[in-house]
Amino acid sequence: MSERSSAADGRRSLVAVAVALTLVTVAAVVPALVGARPANEVPVTELPDADDSLSEPTGDAWERTPAKEIALASAPSGAPNANDTSIESVSVRAAYTDERLFVRLSWDDPSRDGNVSPANATPQVNSFADAAAVQLPADAGANPGIAMGSDRTPVNVWYWSGATGGQELLAGGPGTTTPIGSVGSNASYEDGRWHVVYARNRTADAENRTSFDGDEDVRVAFAVWNGNNSERAGQKAVSEWQYLALGPGPEGPPYETILWAVAGLAIAAVVVATVVGVRRT
Amino acid sequence: MSTQDDDGPTVELADGVEHQVAMVMDLNKCIGCQSCTVACKTLWTEGGGREYMYWNNVETKPGKGYPRNWEEKGGGFESAEQADKEDTHGERQVGELPSQEDWGRPWEFNHEEIFYDGSDESLKPQGRSPEWGPNWDEDQGAGEYPNSYYFYLPRICNHCTHPSCAEACPRKALYKREEDGIVLVDQERCRGYRYCVEGCPYNKVHFNVMKKKSEKCIFCYPRKEGEGPDDEVRPPACASECPPQLRLVGFLDDEDGPIYKLVEEYEVALRLHPEFHTEPNVYYIPPFAPPQHTENGETVDVERIPRPYLEELFGEQVHDALDTIERHRDRVRRGQDSELMELLTTKDMAKQYRLEVFE
Repeated sequence: MSERSSAADGRRSLVAVAVALTLVTVAAVVPALVGARPANEVPVTELPDADDSLSEPTGDAWERTPAKEIALASAPSGAPNANDTSIESVSVRAAYTDERLFVRLSWDDPSRDGNVSPANATPQVNSFADAAAVQLPADAGANPGIAMGSDRTPVNVWYWSGATGGQELLAGGPGTTTPIGSVGSNASYEDGRWHVVYARNRTADAENRTSFDGDEDVRVAFAVWNGNNSERAGQKAVSEWQYLALGPGPEGPPYETILWAVAGLAIAAVVVATVVGVRRT
Repeated sequence: MSTQDDDGPTVELADGVEHQVAMVMDLNKCIGCQSCTVACKTLWTEGGGREYMYWNNVETKPGKGYPRNWEEKGGGFESAEQADKEDTHGERQVGELPSQEDWGRPWEFNHEEIFYDGSDESLKPQGRSPEWGPNWDEDQGAGEYPNSYYFYLPRICNHCTHPSCAEACPRKALYKREEDGIVLVDQERCRGYRYCVEGCPYNKVHFNVMKKKSEKCIFCYPRKEGEGPDDEVRPPACASECPPQLRLVGFLDDEDGPIYKLVEEYEVALRLHPEFHTEPNVYYIPPFAPPQHTENGETVDVERIPRPYLEELFGEQVHDALDTIERHRDRVRRGQDSELMELLTTKDMAKQYRLEVFE
């Protein structure tokens, strides 16, 4: 073995060790960041100084938040044509500043239905506005029924409609929604896509209003109505319960990390053994 | 309908309703003057998104009515037979939501220009040419000369015993008042879904696009409750303003009142389209017309308004009702007494409007 070849061998060994270490790190860390995040999580990004930008449906700050695509299906409901809904998914982003929580919903809808400017036609007695809603447990720690909650576990609904803007509602079961105030909302319609931002103080100032000032995850569900398809009331596309990841973090249980580390080491050992084996033959 | 027991005859009312307010309209007296329409319009539905609304309207029959073709838009309940039941109705039927064009757009006229700005244009609707409106086909009717025919049909909300509008509302924003069975929309609960509009087979609930709520005939309940400036109980404006005074107002279960007698005893006051199974509490005395004529003007013994058409509107009971009235007319012609004819021709306001019997 010449000096030259032994130097080359040394470099190869270093590369093999570096590869092995990288694999161990990736195997241990990435699953914890990605794979261990439960499917129903809506990530919430902290953006302390982005209040103004987040208020805008297409503000720059929203590009610094991850999007979560959420599947929608017709809500089980007694409404006529309840199964006839047309919006299949909604993209959700969420962020908070010191004061406020922002949730943005975006979805494709080729027809814009809602209040039209005076230059256009007057609203029709048989036309319906596009609308979207965010449903939250009135008590952030509660686990209400998905269909508008119940008497004992009421829900808050942040409702936006192209005709009336934002409303904050309280509901204790289907057909019981009652306005309890207005929620900040801002909408834009661009290239066949709605972007609607809801904004509310993280601290609730009244009973039966969801508070986001604790460090716990909060359940959340979404609904979208396509006015062009006469969707209203129970005729709506809805999601399952998701949760806003406001809690201490999306860490999986510790054994998961240990298992991934073991797996990473095993892979690394195989790589090293293979490199050494190849070198010797 | 009525049942006889030891306490005397009783009328079936909706569950939980103490008394049922009702109206009888004698179609033989309607001259199509629209005074009732205007009385209602100026009292309740001027402006504020109500421009197109007529809680009371008068349409020409045969005709497409208001909204256009309302009789074909569905709603109400399926029949007992369809539901395979014996004595009640079946499932609620989902109807069709009329379009703005079916109701007719409110027309803007050039009053200002003509009356104040000295314009010599003719008075006409401005903007888009109207293509339909309430009573667009006024006086057209049907049939051929010299035997063409038509009559007028005034319509208000029927304040049904079994209102499909109320059942259609997922929020229970429409309800039937306990004290008198008047059907109202709770403006606080209404969220503008319009299931009531399509659920009412008579299309007597309207949608206010500005307020984004449903609105409908309230049977002038503030007048009925004496809430006017003089604290007097008054009948609905459509009834009191009617020049030929064709409406009787009172309670269906007031057994001494003309409504009970016309509906329950003589069975000459009929429900419009009973096949919708909502059990309206507005009743109609079916129309008579002069018999048919030959080309030469000779009278022939053939009814001008075809019975099948009247049966379409008022159900099978129309035959007995017309026969009963005809029989009583004959009695009066022969100089005999007829309570029925007295009820139908009274000019005594206290008999026409009996609204204080249950107070």
